[in-house]
Amino acid sequence: MHNNVNINVHHVTRVEGHGNIVVNVADGRIETLQWQVPEAPRFFEAMVRGRSYEDIQTVVSRICGICSITHSLASTKAVESALGLEVSEQTDKLRILMHYSEQLQSHILHVGYLAAPDFFGAPSVVPLVAIAADVVKTVVRVHRVANEWSDLLAGRTTHPVTLRPGGLTRIPTEKQLRQLKKTLKDTIPDLKVIADAVLSVAANIPSFERQTEYVSLKQTNPPAYSFYHGGVTSTDINGQVIPIERWHEVTNEYVCPQSTAKWTKWHRDCYAVGALARFNNNGELLSPMGKDAAKMFGLKRGCCNPFMNTVAQLVECFHVIEASIALIDELLTKGLKEEKVSSVAKAGKGVGCVEAPRGILFHEYEFDKNGSCVAADICIPTNQNHANIQKDFEKFLPEILGQSENEIRLKLEMLVRSYDPCISCSTHMLNVQFVR
Amino acid sequence: MTRHTRKKDVVLGLGNVLMSDEGIGVHLIERLSALKKNFPHVDFIDAGTAGMSILHLIANRRKAIIIDCAKMQTAPGTIRRFGPHQVESVKTLAHYSCHEADILQIVGLCRQLGQLPDEIVFFGIEPQTVAPDRSISQTLAARINDYVAAVCKELTCQID
Repeated sequence: MHNNVNINVHHVTRVEGHGNIVVNVADGRIETLQWQVPEAPRFFEAMVRGRSYEDIQTVVSRICGICSITHSLASTKAVESALGLEVSEQTDKLRILMHYSEQLQSHILHVGYLAAPDFFGAPSVVPLVAIAADVVKTVVRVHRVANEWSDLLAGRTTHPVTLRPGGLTRIPTEKQLRQLKKTLKDTIPDLKVIADAVLSVAANIPSFERQTEYVSLKQTNPPAYSFYHGGVTSTDINGQVIPIERWHEVTNEYVCPQSTAKWTKWHRDCYAVGALARFNNNGELLSPMGKDAAKMFGLKRGCCNPFMNTVAQLVECFHVIEASIALIDELLTKGLKEEKVSSVAKAGKGVGCVEAPRGILFHEYEFDKNGSCVAADICIPTNQNHANIQKDFEKFLPEILGQSENEIRLKLEMLVRSYDPCISCSTHMLNVQFVR
Repeated sequence: MTRHTRKKDVVLGLGNVLMSDEGIGVHLIERLSALKKNFPHVDFIDAGTAGMSILHLIANRRKAIIIDCAKMQTAPGTIRRFGPHQVESVKTLAHYSCHEADILQIVGLCRQLGQLPDEIVFFGIEPQTVAPDRSISQTLAARINDYVAAVCKELTCQID
């Protein structure tokens, strides 16, 4: 065991915020061990106040450059709930199809570009090309399919423009849906190549375990592996389902001195959300290929190794492809028809809840009689994971203290990455110096 | 599967319109899109804070023009044209999250994958204000016609 370890992975830029890992071990005793999130608050809830219900989605879509469809869907559902708007079955299915595109897009991005370099021992995806060019090319190909799929349903890859309270402003043609189905079928072999590649380095996935509470959506009527409908469940409540309107009872947000992001807790001092939480709560409802992928990696319900979240995401990639093909068949069987979208301002309060790729997401808005927003409350999945990451650190560090300082730092960084955190993507400006 | 036939050239506007001058790339795409009839060979795309998706938007094009807010140690409002080989990024990435992005790294990945456009041109615009605000600063607003003209000139000189 090392008697003295001093790790300070510090990435404080108040514009593009990150997290810090701070470890201080003196004479074999852990003095400081913190997962800190120092980024500046972004005040989206304040930004939407005073704006029309019709503008909410456009603003909150910018919360995230990766899960902008998810934020758009959660906010649109919340607005529709507040205004008492029902959407057609066709709209519902097309939105789910849109949402699936983002799950694939985000998961493959995380598995391929962020987690795979760890498993292959590369510092990032750029040098990974030298080690595993074919795998990276396959990842890029699948990511491209997912992006184009988003583009088709959402109007553009990021920051959707087709969503309106009450419906969609534009729908794909049946020909485009048939083409999409073919493309998705053609993508399955590529996904298998990626799964095989990850399996080949799966020995590098740390075997750390810690029991915790896993929270996700659960859909019971009809039962489905849900990203979009249903209520809130957890591994601590024996399959019970809490209506999404009671989400504050789930999140219990609180302020913690080491973080500018709020932390959450439900039945324990922390809980986890994301692909592993969904799998642990709904794994038996995966599509056949999803189940096969889980089996291939030995992923079983009850898994409490946070590093396996990446594997659960890969499993979900198979599921969303298979579920989407079935959804397209249902849409084509009924035939697509143009639908008029209309809504009228009225006072009300509503909640929208969907699964972001990185976990359950809550949006809540209240409007006055003119449809102007008077209150907003958003709870993102990454904030729901912060306390859990801290508790993982506290169990994991003593287990790896015998390793080198570099190894310890890498393992703790990998642990953070496994949660696929969305810390901030509000700005991506260039910061350059000219080569003289 | 996509809605449009992919065109030979692309102009990408990057940024977040909720963060004042940081969104200048997107504001310029709005202005340039109004002129798209003059440029039938060009896709004008609001790429927002798209990160890695930029890879797909530029891959295998003839020419990619990328407009972004850039800290270049110049006076606010300054526009500079440069190629990827003329600059080096001084941005620190944490690699915790796919949400952070460095466009120069993305271009590097595109090169390694053999999908680089024949030509990449950046227009960097030095910000006055990067803070929550849906409007750009007066400094940049006063020069927006110059920025549009610079991009149009770049496109015009490339028409076959």
